[in-house]
Amino acid sequence: MKILCSLTLFTMMAAAAFGQGLDLKHLDRLAAKANDTADVTLDGSLLKLAAKFLSASDPDEAKIKKLVSGLKGIYVKSFEFEKEGEYAESDVAAIRSQLKSPGWSRIVGVHSKKDGENAEIYIKTGGADGGLAIICTNPTELTIVSILGKIDLDELSDLGGNLGVPKLDLEKSPDKSDKSQPPKKKEDE
Amino acid sequence: MSYLEDDLKLALQRAEPSGDFTERVLARLNAPPRKRAWWEELAVLFQPPRVQWVALTVVASVVIPIAGIQYHKEQRLRAQGEMAKQELVFAMRMAGSKLHKVQQKVLGMSQTENRL
Repeated sequence: MKILCSLTLFTMMAAAAFGQGLDLKHLDRLAAKANDTADVTLDGSLLKLAAKFLSASDPDEAKIKKLVSGLKGIYVKSFEFEKEGEYAESDVAAIRSQLKSPGWSRIVGVHSKKDGENAEIYIKTGGADGGLAIICTNPTELTIVSILGKIDLDELSDLGGNLGVPKLDLEKSPDKSDKSQPPKKKEDE
Repeated sequence: MSYLEDDLKLALQRAEPSGDFTERVLARLNAPPRKRAWWEELAVLFQPPRVQWVALTVVASVVIPIAGIQYHKEQRLRAQGEMAKQELVFAMRMAGSKLHKVQQKVLGMSQTENRL
């Protein structure tokens, strides 16, 4: 009976973990040490509700609305610290180990020795069950983005091109405003 | 007999109706009902019995709180939606910016390699 209960519990936990994507709870303790923290958890009905409030007339919001239509969840955790060494490598390793599970594959890994910046992009193929994970670290910053569902990387990157970074694709309209600045967190570009 | 009795006898004596009495009664019965003006219809509400007022009060006491709760719910949902939208826009732009940054770095590296 105990074995059956344990098995059921394990199955339920596994199902929950699969539905939520990455488990980022171990990072919550870093919020106390960080100068700036951004924590976004949007899934299921909340994501649908948010999408309803996106304006179709605003070009940027329309793009996001289009992107979001195929998504199941978006999770962001970002911490900016005053000094180095506030987070441990094991914090990032715990996330990397989750991304070693079947289905996930690392498509890009960039490491800069000069400024200690690391960036990794993982994707999970499978249409609606797919996903994207981004790990960006530098000595004073840790950002994890996890997106579940069908996502177009080019369109997502296009959104990032608005943040004061000159766009590479000059054929597309250059009418980007700086209202794309996130409300809670300053970008380091 | 007293005068009073005489008076009563005189007052209560049988009197035959006029000849056209039946026709007049039938004509009155068959006549179409007079259409009341709108103010007369409205005035009915203020006349006893005041069942209408009671009904109106009961309906109002049910409808107004329900409408209030519904309005409050919608306001709360709107606020929740706006907040979720802000978070969504922020998350998508954060993801986009990080992705874009990586792409820039990769592109920069490939350009440097090409130059070499």
